[in-house]
Amino acid sequence: MITLYAITDHPTAALPAGVGLHAVADGELSAVCGPAIAKEISADALWAHERLVEVLMDGRDLLPVRYGTSLPDDAAAARALEERHGTYAAALERVRGAVELAVRVFGEGGGASADDPSPGERSPDRGPRERSAAPDGRGDPPGAGAAYLRARARAAAAEAQARTRVHEPLARAARATALAPLPRAGELLRAAYLVDRDATAAFTARVRDVQERCPKLRITCTGPWPPYSFAGS
Amino acid sequence: MTTVAEQDVALVDLIDRLLGGGVVIAGDITLAAADVDLVYLGLRAVIASVATAREQGVLPETGSAP
Amino acid sequence: MNDKRLHEPSDLDCLGDPLTALDRALPGRLNADPENLERGLAQLVLTIVELLRQLMERQAVRRMDDGSLSDEQVERLGQTFMALSERMAELRERFGFDEEDLNLHLGPLGDLL
Repeated sequence: MITLYAITDHPTAALPAGVGLHAVADGELSAVCGPAIAKEISADALWAHERLVEVLMDGRDLLPVRYGTSLPDDAAAARALEERHGTYAAALERVRGAVELAVRVFGEGGGASADDPSPGERSPDRGPRERSAAPDGRGDPPGAGAAYLRARARAAAAEAQARTRVHEPLARAARATALAPLPRAGELLRAAYLVDRDATAAFTARVRDVQERCPKLRITCTGPWPPYSFAGS
Repeated sequence: MTTVAEQDVALVDLIDRLLGGGVVIAGDITLAAADVDLVYLGLRAVIASVATAREQGVLPETGSAP
Repeated sequence: MNDKRLHEPSDLDCLGDPLTALDRALPGRLNADPENLERGLAQLVLTIVELLRQLMERQAVRRMDDGSLSDEQVERLGQTFMALSERMAELRERFGFDEEDLNLHLGPLGDLL
């Protein structure tokens, strides 16, 4: 078994020594492989993998492979390259000379939006659920359904606002963007931006500007990362 | 020195990328799992298209009101 | 280890409970024993149901904002989604998942939400 780290194309600088890497080629593409390792999910294992991919990225453009990908042997790696050769070549062209920056946006007042009703809380406007003599038979205060939908509408509006006020200005500074279709609980926005290698400082400055203009939002930005979100799988 | 919370800012983004992104090559997973993999890829395309349609305001109506 | 943080808010409390990120990821390796497969399948099914629930809620909100729903329809839809949300919470509890577990990182199988 072999572990796959990245797909890259010519010109390929020499692979870093001493870490057991070798390249499997298919035309101008090659898959950078290493010995099989346990697919451990731990901070250390993930960071170790990431460090290796970043060392590779130092000398070449590449498509990072999903963590935990392994194949039986070199022949299988060559077949994988051949099967989607055109797709990988096109994706490499898209990410040429660029890195990925990750942005997440949160609202004020804690991880969950203050308007976000949890399952145990029926009516955010009224506080905890109360049994009442309401005529709907469920014991909810009348109008609880409408209140719930209004709260969902407020959450959706907050997400849309984050897209307008944060994503759009940042997108204008990026070569490409990848917006998570549904933010996770507590997030208003989650996105990745493909940015030229030498433009990350300018992008970060833009994030700071946006943060200053939106004091009620909390924005995190991390990177530079290999272009995981633009590898086109 | 970074605090635990500070480390997590990068860790969450790391996990999102390593486990949620990158090139996917079906490898040593079993056939059943490979079938599930296809389902996932298909669903991601659906999610993305629904999200786009929603943003553009062209999400199709689902017929009569419930 | 170089620091990846380029920008972060002055108060990090908004980011929620620390150290949950790894717990959320698939623990250990993909496991083929029947009990784990069943729980894995339940996780998959519940994630899909949760996805549909969220999409439907969002569409209902859209129609409410459009003004194309009567007050009665808004109330009934809201009650339905509240009930659905509670039912999902019950199902999650039965299988021992919390909300973040249904936003899966499944290693080589990918990421749904």
